[in-house]
Amino acid sequence: MKPAPFDYLRAESVAHAVQSLADAGGDGKVIAGGQSLMPMMNFRLVKPSLLVDINHIPDLAGIRQQGGRLGIGALVRHRTTAADPVIARHVPVLHAAMRHVAHLTVRNRGTFCGSVCHADPAAEMPMIALLLDGTVQTATPRGGRRLPARDFFLGPLMTALEPDELVTEIEMDTLPADTGWGFEEFARRHGDYALAAVAVTVDRQDGRAAGPRIAVMGVGDRPMRMPEAEAALDGSDMGEAAIDAAVEALRATIAPNADLHASADYRRHLAGVLAGRALRGAWTRARERLAA
Amino acid sequence: MTGAPDAVELRPKLVGQRVRRTEDPRLLAGAGRYVDDLTPPGALHVAIRRSDQPHARIRGIGATEALALPGVVAVFDARDLEGMIRPAIPASRMAGYHATPIWPLARGTVRYVGEPVVAVLAESRYVAEDALELVAIDYEPLPFAIRAADAAADGAPLLHEDAGTNVIIAREFARGDVDAVFRDAPVIVGGRFRMTRKTAVAMENRSYLAAWDRGRAALTLHSSTNIPGIIRDVLAGCLELPGNRLRVVAPDVGGSFGGKGSLYQEEMLVAALARRLERPVKFTSDRLEDLSATSQAFDEVIEAELALDAEGMLLGLRAEVTGDIGAYSIYPWTGALEPVQVASFLPGPYRLAHYRGRVRGVLTPKPPTGPYRGVGRPSSTFAMERLIDMAARKLGMDPMEIRRRNLVTAPEFPYRTASGIVWDRSAFQECLAAACDHADYPALLRARDAARAAGRWVGIGLASYAELTGIGSRISVAPGMPINTGTETAAIRIDATGAVTAAFGIASHGQGLETTLAQVIADELGCRMEDVEVQHGDSALLPASSGTYASRSAVLAGGAATLSARVVKAKLLRAAAHLMDVPAEALEASGGIIRARSSNTSMSFQEVAQAVYAGMGRIPREQREELTASETYDPYLGTAGSATHLAMVEIDPGTYGVTVTRYVVAEDCGRIINPLIVDGQVQGGVAQGIGAALLEEVVHDDDGQCVTASLADYLVPIATGMPEIGIVHVEAVLPATLGGFRGMGEGGTIGAPAAIANAVADALSPLGIEVDTLPVTPDRIFRMVEAARLRNPGQRTGA
Repeated sequence: MKPAPFDYLRAESVAHAVQSLADAGGDGKVIAGGQSLMPMMNFRLVKPSLLVDINHIPDLAGIRQQGGRLGIGALVRHRTTAADPVIARHVPVLHAAMRHVAHLTVRNRGTFCGSVCHADPAAEMPMIALLLDGTVQTATPRGGRRLPARDFFLGPLMTALEPDELVTEIEMDTLPADTGWGFEEFARRHGDYALAAVAVTVDRQDGRAAGPRIAVMGVGDRPMRMPEAEAALDGSDMGEAAIDAAVEALRATIAPNADLHASADYRRHLAGVLAGRALRGAWTRARERLAA
Repeated sequence: MTGAPDAVELRPKLVGQRVRRTEDPRLLAGAGRYVDDLTPPGALHVAIRRSDQPHARIRGIGATEALALPGVVAVFDARDLEGMIRPAIPASRMAGYHATPIWPLARGTVRYVGEPVVAVLAESRYVAEDALELVAIDYEPLPFAIRAADAAADGAPLLHEDAGTNVIIAREFARGDVDAVFRDAPVIVGGRFRMTRKTAVAMENRSYLAAWDRGRAALTLHSSTNIPGIIRDVLAGCLELPGNRLRVVAPDVGGSFGGKGSLYQEEMLVAALARRLERPVKFTSDRLEDLSATSQAFDEVIEAELALDAEGMLLGLRAEVTGDIGAYSIYPWTGALEPVQVASFLPGPYRLAHYRGRVRGVLTPKPPTGPYRGVGRPSSTFAMERLIDMAARKLGMDPMEIRRRNLVTAPEFPYRTASGIVWDRSAFQECLAAACDHADYPALLRARDAARAAGRWVGIGLASYAELTGIGSRISVAPGMPINTGTETAAIRIDATGAVTAAFGIASHGQGLETTLAQVIADELGCRMEDVEVQHGDSALLPASSGTYASRSAVLAGGAATLSARVVKAKLLRAAAHLMDVPAEALEASGGIIRARSSNTSMSFQEVAQAVYAGMGRIPREQREELTASETYDPYLGTAGSATHLAMVEIDPGTYGVTVTRYVVAEDCGRIINPLIVDGQVQGGVAQGIGAALLEEVVHDDDGQCVTASLADYLVPIATGMPEIGIVHVEAVLPATLGGFRGMGEGGTIGAPAAIANAVADALSPLGIEVDTLPVTPDRIFRMVEAARLRNPGQRTGA
């Protein structure tokens, strides 16, 4: 369990990093926290010829709130995300999700952006980025891009990133104080990759659900939004019948894989149970939205 | 013993006190020394190419490219080792058994994924692993049966042609007329219980370092083993080296749980290669190798039926045990160790006249099974305790009451079980009562019923068991095994400075034996604990030794320590008596000082030792004795350890996640040397047992691949998932062992799987669900609930 030989480069700037990735001809890998990359390299599942270390690039470690959006820089550690008071207050669903992210030692090093780029279908950060209509800000030697999260995840551990593209920041919606949210996850052990998780937000207008967002993970090859279930809830009274309908829509939409830890049928069942709980929790948190 | 009894009573005793482990400052501060910490100059690092085939003929091996890589020194396969080492043969006197020889590398045929095939030696492990990728192996796949039931069937493809069958172990235990009992029994319950395959997952991976001393033509093997003496003896034969030129040292060892308690191919390999290359050769397995090539455990199907009368008294038990022992019989225990003990321990601590237990051990292309904390008894206790609860449910009887009626009672000891095991005397009934008292069982039942009425899925499970510990020379630890594991020697000396050194054949690897044995010795000698240095884990310490396993070390080494210490003390007091001019009978020792009871005179151990060794003429020539002794203790039979575990669980009716909300252990381990250490053993054992019950399972897919070869897939329990464990020590009647000690290191893993299984079954009982497979995972509960829902469409079964 030793990695294959590779070169190491300490990038001094974003431009330096992306140029180095370009020079590696598609064979370079970015390392920030390394909590997913290093095990994969030690298993020799990935054998990059060059490791570009972005840890010393200035100005990538910030969390900023602007308008209704929150930006998380490429070097923000999970530990920082979990402890950040702005996130706790304005993106409480992300704050709640952090409780389920691995263990302390992993959270000390692992990064939000790194987790999104790793695109594990059972990891929390990709799902949260999708739930909150995130945007991925990147840099390449040819300039940057802004990729919507919904176009970012292509499959298990696969994203729309080019080989010489570096994610510098991911931004997402903050939640107004009256927005309801819910997060439910189930794993075999606390901190493990989820067997399934569901995150939702919902606004309450005239006693009815407005603009519900539902995202799931662990039940497909990538995190997913659930437009059918969202449509089933939008404008509903969020009563048990409406929630049951949304849960049924969700269960009908997903096609989970079977693996060692869970059969497809169990995962489908579980996603529905968690969705029901997340929606009920969100609705109890939602406050009547005052007309603007 | 010298001295009047009252004087002895006045002395503060170390045995029985919560003495902090003297190992811990070293181990916790990073001052421990494990095999991987040792890298002598010039050491070569081995990486091993392992089979990716479950069963195949090796047509060819190409190593040219690997050898060309800078830093690679040599590449070996089995052909290159011919003549360098002989195989180890895991022999047994058991009828019908076939011993499969153990070679360092696969010879012509591979028989499980993970079997060592090619060894690359390089200047670093990195280079060695680079070279592994360049080794080309041409396999011709052979047919195989990956499931034991298929492998045992007529016409199944054979894993070892010369065995002529895959069923290399078959045995029957019988007493009474069990079939007649079943014909007339008012109540019969039965099930097909499956304890899945586990692996030990010690924190330290297996590591070996062999060094050849060219000048002495001697080999030293540093090994992360818990049986250095056994390894020395077997390697002496394999390598044709006398024991005075072959030394096996187990330095600090980071846990074993049985996984380091057998001979490994890599131990043979590094020893043979170090001698051939005349350079130190080191192998440190990584976690992938640990999970795919360390001995595994259990993997039994137990089809069992229990017959009772209308009052819930046990009448008869019959069982068919099929053990999947993997691809090879392991040395020295053989593949019979685990499944045969399932059949022999199945009757448990209960009064039972009629029994028939048949057991088969079946070869399949998986890693060999071997010892694992609890050996056989976690499976047998799981099956038997499930049957007891199923019977209680059928009879409408409380699970505690049915156990109370059937557990062997004090007047019945010694009790010979239906399979022939003798329970000397142990607190079977008292432990059941103590566990239920401690937990306030009636209140727990009320809490469960209230929760159930509120729609929650809550259950309580009991498990009572007995185990044989401290086994002497009368009984083989493994069936028919031709080596003696029933004696233990302690070589104790007081040196010229007055310091005490005690050498043992055991090999402590986490049990804290350096502390507990020092407690025993200090009490016997009358010195301070810090005066005693305990040596262990080194085959050179004593003429013969085996190691630490089978809950033997406290009993056997504790007994040997007592015997030797008494001899040394008698010599010490004789010398002191001469020096102080008082009768030896008038002397007593405590805290390292020898005092005359009748006067104020005293001498320290140091003063007496100096007089004996350095003070020429102070002791007359004919009276002078070395302050040493080497006594051997053999408890002959063993002594029963016993316990009752009580678990309470809650199942989430939506996710089917199981939370252990309450846990109590009441156990009898005889006289306790150190309650702090005993508590730690109970807690660690219960944690491991909860892992077996809820999390851990080695899975091989239909292609023979191990799909649980990482810690993301083989799930071990973690500290934050553990319940508070209430522990009650019951010291009813002390056993006849020297010191009154019983072994107790394995009990946690024996009781916990059964207790958790019974608690989960109790929580699911309103749905008519019985638990028959461990681990009982959320997915398994989901499938049982779905099946129950099909059986009873009207029933509300979940959230």
